[in-house]
Amino acid sequence: MVNMIKRAERNVPDSTAKYVYCVIPCPTERKSFGSLGFDAGEVYTLDYKDLAPVVSDVTYRDYAANEEEVVVHRNVVEQIMLEHSVIPVAFGMAFKTRKLLQIAMSAGYLAMQKAEQVVDGKVELGVKVFLPKDQAEMESARREECSSDFLQHLLAVSGDWKKLKLFSDRLVLNSAFLVDKSAIDEFSLRIGMLTEKYDMLKVQYSGPWPAYNFVDIHILGGKRRGFR
Amino acid sequence: MFFIDDMLLRSLGITLPGLDMIWTIEQIQKFALKGLYDPEKIKNQIKETRLLYEFGELDRKEYEQKNSDLMDKLDMAMRIEEMNLNSKVDILG
Repeated sequence: MVNMIKRAERNVPDSTAKYVYCVIPCPTERKSFGSLGFDAGEVYTLDYKDLAPVVSDVTYRDYAANEEEVVVHRNVVEQIMLEHSVIPVAFGMAFKTRKLLQIAMSAGYLAMQKAEQVVDGKVELGVKVFLPKDQAEMESARREECSSDFLQHLLAVSGDWKKLKLFSDRLVLNSAFLVDKSAIDEFSLRIGMLTEKYDMLKVQYSGPWPAYNFVDIHILGGKRRGFR
Repeated sequence: MFFIDDMLLRSLGITLPGLDMIWTIEQIQKFALKGLYDPEKIKNQIKETRLLYEFGELDRKEYEQKNSDLMDKLDMAMRIEEMNLNSKVDILG
């Protein structure tokens, strides 16, 4: 049956917990990405209809959002992104059993299908513009002008963008841009040009990331420690 | 004197917000606690610390120390929020 998550041809009991890194369009056959997962576990695909959660077998536990663990999750997703469009999954999504993962996939299937169209062939790029220590008091009109200039140039090569929280008084701009893979070079050129133009500011350009800020699917309630 | 009056009134189940000295102290404490242990504020500080490290304004050691302190503070803030210590329970009925 296509709509069941098929058990991969391996000697792993059904009850083994699955950590989900992301979801990708279903490849034609089970795919392994190597032993990149938590505890050096094999990262591989399961399938649910036309989607494939990318998982590794883990001992069920709470995943602390510390740097080491986040890096494992991020590295796996970056590896998968080299070959596939990725529907991102929040850090720490481990399911006690394959059956529970199947229920989650079923609950989120329609939303994930829509998300797949949003992320298809695209990546997220992040841009932060930060005031240097000695210019932390830049007047608001000047901030606004600088922020608008960045946006005007970058939106021309982006499919979508999200204004993110200015979590520091020194942040002038904090935004995520959804960019077609083919437009990344052009986006980078524009960042280079703007960085030169505003050489007194600090610019952080990051990515490509999965489209975390453009996909917002909540499955099985908002609580991270739900029934999983 | 006022304090003793307030205690007596409280023992009778009467409080006078604004005039009650214990009430005033509680409000000040609540305000201080909220300012010091606001989870959103602490999360912002964690992100800012990371950014300062990435921009080279903090070295690795400074970053790790500051981040660890903030994580502890966030943990405390979450506990306060979970325990709802800011809300008053009237045990005098």
